Order: sequence, then C-alpha cells, then structure tokens
Amino acid sequence: MKGYDAVVSNRWVRLGTFLALVVVLAIVPLVADPFTNQTISHIAVFAVAILGLNIVMGFTGLVSLGHSFFVGVGAYCAIIPIRDWWGGPLAEGAIVIGFLLSGLIPGVLGLLIALVTVRLRGLALAMVTIALPTIGLPLAQKFSEFTGGNEGVSIRRLDYVGADGEIHKGNPFAAGPGLENDQWQYYIVVTIAIAFFALAYFLVRGKYGRAFAIVKSNEAIASSMGVSPYRYKVLAFTIAAIYGGIAGFLLIVWGQFTSSETLAFHNSIDLVIASIVGGAGSIVGAVLGGIFYVAVSQIMNGLQLSIYTTLVQGVVIIVILFLLPGGLASLPRTIRRLVRRGRSGHSVGADPTAGSTTENTK
Amino acid sequence: MNPFGTFVQLVVDGLAQGSIYGALALAIVLVNQATGLINFAQGGMAVLGSYIGMTIGNLAIPGVGSTIGIIFGIVAAVIASLALGGFVERFVMRRFERAEEDTKIVATVGLLTLLTGLVGLIWGFNPTPYPFFFGGSESLRIGSVSISVWSIVTFATIIALMIVLQILFRGTKLGLGMRAVADNAPSAALSGIRVGGMRMAGWGLAAALGTVAAILLASKSQLTPNNFDGILVYALAAVVIGGLDSPLGAVIAALGITILESLAAAYVPWIGHDLKVVVPFVLVFIVLIIRPQGLFGRRAVVRV
Amino acid sequence: MPLPERNLLELKDVTAFYGPVQVLESVSISVPEGGAVGILGANGAGKTTTLRAISGTVRAGGSIVYDGQSIRGFRPERVASLGIAHVPEGRGTLGNLTVRENLMVGAYMRKDRQQVATDLDYLLELFPNLKQRIRSNASALSGGEQQMLAVSRAFMAAPKLLVLDEPSLGLAPSTARSVYDAIARLRKESGIAMLVVEQNANLAFSVVDSVTVLETGRSVLTGTTAELKGNDEIRRAYLGG
Repeated sequence: MKGYDAVVSNRWVRLGTFLALVVVLAIVPLVADPFTNQTISHIAVFAVAILGLNIVMGFTGLVSLGHSFFVGVGAYCAIIPIRDWWGGPLAEGAIVIGFLLSGLIPGVLGLLIALVTVRLRGLALAMVTIALPTIGLPLAQKFSEFTGGNEGVSIRRLDYVGADGEIHKGNPFAAGPGLENDQWQYYIVVTIAIAFFALAYFLVRGKYGRAFAIVKSNEAIASSMGVSPYRYKVLAFTIAAIYGGIAGFLLIVWGQFTSSETLAFHNSIDLVIASIVGGAGSIVGAVLGGIFYVAVSQIMNGLQLSIYTTLVQGVVIIVILFLLPGGLASLPRTIRRLVRRGRSGHSVGADPTAGSTTENTK
Repeated sequence: MNPFGTFVQLVVDGLAQGSIYGALALAIVLVNQATGLINFAQGGMAVLGSYIGMTIGNLAIPGVGSTIGIIFGIVAAVIASLALGGFVERFVMRRFERAEEDTKIVATVGLLTLLTGLVGLIWGFNPTPYPFFFGGSESLRIGSVSISVWSIVTFATIIALMIVLQILFRGTKLGLGMRAVADNAPSAALSGIRVGGMRMAGWGLAAALGTVAAILLASKSQLTPNNFDGILVYALAAVVIGGLDSPLGAVIAALGITILESLAAAYVPWIGHDLKVVVPFVLVFIVLIIRPQGLFGRRAVVRV
Repeated sequence: MPLPERNLLELKDVTAFYGPVQVLESVSISVPEGGAVGILGANGAGKTTTLRAISGTVRAGGSIVYDGQSIRGFRPERVASLGIAHVPEGRGTLGNLTVRENLMVGAYMRKDRQQVATDLDYLLELFPNLKQRIRSNASALSGGEQQMLAVSRAFMAAPKLLVLDEPSLGLAPSTARSVYDAIARLRKESGIAMLVVEQNANLAFSVVDSVTVLETGRSVLTGTTAELKGNDEIRRAYLGG
C-alpha cells in the first residue's frame, strides 16, 4: 500500500485537495437551494466547535464534558453587542466586536479554568467540566434581563436608523444586493470556519501538535523532554474554549438566535458523541463529527422518527467504540489494515494503532 | 409553620433527597471498585429499572390488588436490574477494560444516551406516574412540625438497603469474593475466584440499588427518561467529595451536600432556588483543593 | 538417580511470548508427587514466566500436563480449582482485606468448613505474628509477614501443588530464613508438592529435592540438590558461586 500512503501524504496532493474543496464550497451556495446552504452552514458551525473539542480531548487527552458552555457563552458574547449596538452609530462594527468577544471571553474563561483544574485527572476533571454548563445554564436564566433567559435573544428584527433618518427593522446578517440571505450567511460562516480549520491544521502539524501528543501519551516522558504537560494542557483547553466561542458566533450568524438552552449539559454530551463518531484525534474528523451532529437530528426528523434520535445516537457511538474507535476518519486506515492482514494471510502481531479513540491522524 | 419547623422540614427533606443521591453515589463507587471505571450511565440504568417496575406493577395491580401489585413491580424491577447490570458489564463494558480513561468515560456516556433513548422510545418522553403506596404530599405531624411521609420512608429504605449491602460485603462469601476482585483481580483469580462473575455481580447490585432509588424518586415526582440526569451530577459530586474509594464517604457527602444546598437555597437569598446548584460545585472545588482524594478517601490522586 | 514416582506436573518444551518478544524458548521441568523442585537462574531468564504459564496467567505453547491432564491454556481460576496454588511475584496480597479475610479468600473454593477452620488454626499456630495481626489490614503488615500471609493463603486452598515465586524477594536475610523454615515445615508436615522459583540458591536448596536452571528461556540443567550443590563449576556458572 505504499503507493496510497505516498500519495495521501504528499504535500501538493493535500494542498490541491484543499483548494479544490474550497472552490467547490465557494460555488455550491450559488446553485443549491436555501435549505442545503443552511445545512452546510449549520455543519460548519458545529465542525468548528467539535474541532476545539478534538484539540483538547482527542489530541491532548483531556475529557471535556462542558464544551457547550463555551459555545453558549460565545453565542451570548456575539449576540448581545449586536442586539444593543448594531442599530446605533457602530453598525457593522458591532458585529466585529461580537466576533472578537466571542473568541476572547470564552478564551479567557477557558484559560482561567484550565490554570486551576488541568492538573486534575479522571473524575475530578470531568466534574469540573460538567460544572460549567450545569452552573452556566441557571446563571444565564437568572440574568435574563441581559440574556433573555429561556426565551433567548433574537436579532432577526432589530431597530436601526436608516438613511432616511427613520427607524427601520432589519437583520444584521441580511444579504446585500445580488445575494440571498442564506448565501450571504453561508459565506461568512464557511469562510471563518475554513480559516479556523486552516489555523488548527498548522497548529497540529507543528511543534504544538507534537507536544500535545507527547503529553497525552506519557506525561513523564513529556516533562523529561522539556515539554511541560501543565502548560500544553492549559493551552489546549484554552484553544478549545476559543473555538467553542467562535462556534457560538457562527451560530448567531447562522440562526440569529440563542438562548440558555445552548448551554445545556446534554449539548455537551452530543458534541462529545459527535466528536468521537467523526474521529476525535483528527481534523477531518471534526468535519465528519459536524456532519453527524447535524445529520442525525435532521434525518430522524425528516423520517418522522425523532423519537428514535437519542437511541440512534447511543447505538452509533457504542458501535463506533466497538468497531471503529478512531471514528469515521479512521475508516481508510482501518480498511488498509484489514486488507494488509488479508493479504499476508495471518494476523500481523499486536497492532499498536488498534483500539484507540484518540489516536492522532493528521 | 414556625421557623424551627421549617428548618426541621428542610433537614428531613434534605436527608431524603440526599439519600437518593447517596444511593446513586454508592452505586457509582461500587461499580468503580468492581471494574475501575466511573459509570456515567448509572442513573440511566436506574431509570430503566424503574420503568420496568412501573410496567409490571401496572400489569399486576388489576389482578392482585394495589399493594401486592406494587410489590411485584418493585421486585421485578430489582431482578431486572440485577440482570441488566450483569449483562451490561459482561457484554458492553468488559470490552473497554483495557481502554484509556477518556474512552471509558465516553463509553459510559454513550451507554447513558443509548439507555435514555431506549426508554424514551418504549415508554415515551412524557412524564408518567409511578404506582406507589402513597403519594409525595402526605405528611405526618410531630408536635408543631410537619414532616413528609415520603421523606421518612425514602430515607429509611435507602439506609436499610445500604446496611444490607454492607452485611453482604463484609459477612458473606460473595461479598468477600467481590472485595478480593476489587482489590487485586489477578491475585483473586489465583485463588479460584471467578473474576468475571464477581464483576457482573457488582454491576448488578449497583444497578438494583439505583433502581430502588429511582422508584422512590418516581413515586414522588413521576417517571421521565431524564429523571436521573441532574441527580447524576450530584452523585458524582458526592463521590468526588467523599472519595472515590469510600462507599461510606460518598453517602455522607451526598447527605451533606443536599442539606447544605437546601439550607443555602432557603436562607441565602441571592442563591435562592435558581442558583442552589452552585453549592455542590463550590464544595467540590474546595475539597479538590484541600484534599484531592476526598474527605474519606485514602489514596492520593496523583498518578503519572 | 532414583526412579521418580508419577509426575504431578510435567512441562515439556514450553514456549511463551509477551507480545512479539519470546520469553520462553523451551522449558522442561518435572515435579513428582510430593516432591519439591526449585527453578534457578538469573534475572530475565524466564523463571516467573514459567510459573505464569503453569497458572494460566500467561498464554503458552508446548506441553503442560498436571495430574495426567493437559492444563495449557486453562484460565487461572480453572487451574486453581484443580489444586495448584500460585503465590505470585509481589505476593498478590489483598491489601484492603484483613489478614483473616486474605486467608479465607485462600479457602474460597473449599466446601469443607470444619477442615477449613482446622487449617486456619494450624497456620495461625505456625505463624504467630499472623495470629497477632489477624484483624489488621494486610497492607499494614511488614514484607516478611506479607510473605508468610501469601504462603498461608495458598496453603488454605488445600492444594496438591504449591507454586512459589521468589519468596525471599525484598526480605532481610533473617526474615527470608524464617520464611523458608516455615515452608520447609509445611512441606514436611503436609507432604505437599512444591515448585519454587528463587534467586538465592542456598535458600532454595534448603527445601527442594532437585533443581532446574533456566537461562534465557531454556531449561539448561537439571539435577538433584546434592549434585548441584557439590559441583563447583556449576555453582560458579549458574548459581553465583
């Protein structure tokens, strides 16, 4: 299988594939129907969130059961400035502020939380991550004048002062002339998503990715090599928080709405499940995870089988853990291994890559 | 009612609620001792058991009358959970025996999702009443204080159950075998103890304990597939505070957390009912800082 | 060499792997009924692995016949139920259980309660410091006491074959001496068969009739205690002089 390996890891092939993908993604909204565009945008939103989760969980080995907290906080950081300031002199500036805050505030929170808790292991760490949405949600509900509580905040119809000096109602993410709303929102979401994916790709390819991997596999060795487990865990957790927050911003671009429900604990679980199903240790896996996240509910609703949704999620994750622990992203690798085994006629000893949910691919 | 009466009521209700959390916490500790993993699905298994109890109970009541029917239901639920626990250990969890820690956590979370989905599919997601001897609103008057019957019965039942379990563990051969396997499974095997069987027994007992707690809870507030989702969080907090290797610690911690939380909700206005969930986490935080192995735990948490 | 009685345990050309690494290449050992055999050799020679192959803790190839039956591939619980009691490397002490409970775990498979109680009393008389600490948690015992506990626990199973992995490991010379005195006494009073892995040749010689020396996974030399003790060359080569 040397030919296949050589082709796939060739730098130019990868770049070419990536560019081809970008071109395809750029053209799709111009020809597809609004529902498709919205679905792809929706997938992109959660692909970014799951990418953050992959970095901290898959690459660095820290379980985070509270990721929805960062998405929710990011969403609020985006929507509140827009709600309050878009109608005034700041106009589009409010959106930029929202974007920056949605990365910054969850990032700072993530950093602070990580500094204190990253030395914990197992249950203790899980508890802290669980605490985030569990406390976050009631907090969001309590400060409902600010956050809209359960009802949430919508920015679909905001007041603004028009050219004629009169007050009109508009959507900050409405498209200009030449594009439909769904197309415009698609371009914003997908472009930002691609940028953050590219960022993650370079992060993971370089020394940071290697550091994360070493910290995950053996902390003692990591320290002896001068790689501080503490520092890199904090870094990974902070990055995950930032990505979660940005995903929150993208959620607002996509739907112009959020509520305390976004912070709910079960969303964290759904994100973790999607991350593993897609492939927690892989960047491509985050995209697959996003697809799974969106597809499951859409398909089940479409088939009028929404009562099966939770069960399907549970069955899929258990099956994946049994048969394909590296997630869907590891499918090519697994097929190659099976073919290799079949060819050589007997089992090729203990395969060190088998049975790990969080082995890094690329 | 006078302030003293309110206080007593809060404490009693706190003890009852706390004993439910404590039962789940104890189940989690049991499973962890038997097989070395934190079972996030423990509550889900308990809920499934309680639904089975409801169905059997409802089937039996028209035939044998309400009291016997309810008892049938409870017995059926307990037996079903013993079997379910053993089944899950043998055919699902054993696969992850040698997995990494985060894989184990994800596996149990996946199991929770599966069980919740299964329950929702079979019985629906709407609240369903659980047939029981009495409802949640009956109360007893002692002097000037009014105490809920449910609280007394719940607390007494769960404590009695825990005592029974303690006797099982310390006084029977099965208990000895389970503790040996929990302590050092390969060594226990060398003495002929069937390790797999003991692990299944541990899971079965934990599931049955959870089911009883779930039934008690449902009798007061109705069955929903997500009944124990919130309770799981409290149970985990109790386990962390009490110490992962201390069954008694987990129960005491659960009781303590619940009472403190109720008192905080009642007497500290800015916490109130909405934010009272902060209390357990603050306690967790404090314990993790000053005594990471838990108040009653033994081993240090540091593992390289 | 006198004609052996029927062999209780017979290993022939036993192999074992840890993953891809071959630890045992060809090990052959015999333990006659009521006999005591020692396994000597340097670190890494495969002594512990041999015992693990017998008790089923590690998968092995070749032939392992016990009491006329092949037990290769049997799981540890099953091997134990056939009457082989293995005291593993590190003793396998059940630290969170009391001394008494450790001993009762040893007797887990037995149904003859009266005899179990008698055996318990016998062992406590043999090891008075165990009797003293009977209610303590096993983890609180000293190294020597834990070793005696481990041996006693194995004995509580009323086994036909006692398999001991380096009883002297980590013990001060005088403590090791006492442990071996106790083992010798147990052997004398019960006639039980024994297989003892040991680094310290002299201690081994004090309880066993014959010895097999292992070198890099092969049994290279077998002889009675008398033969090996007396042979200077062999002593220097294999037994550290």
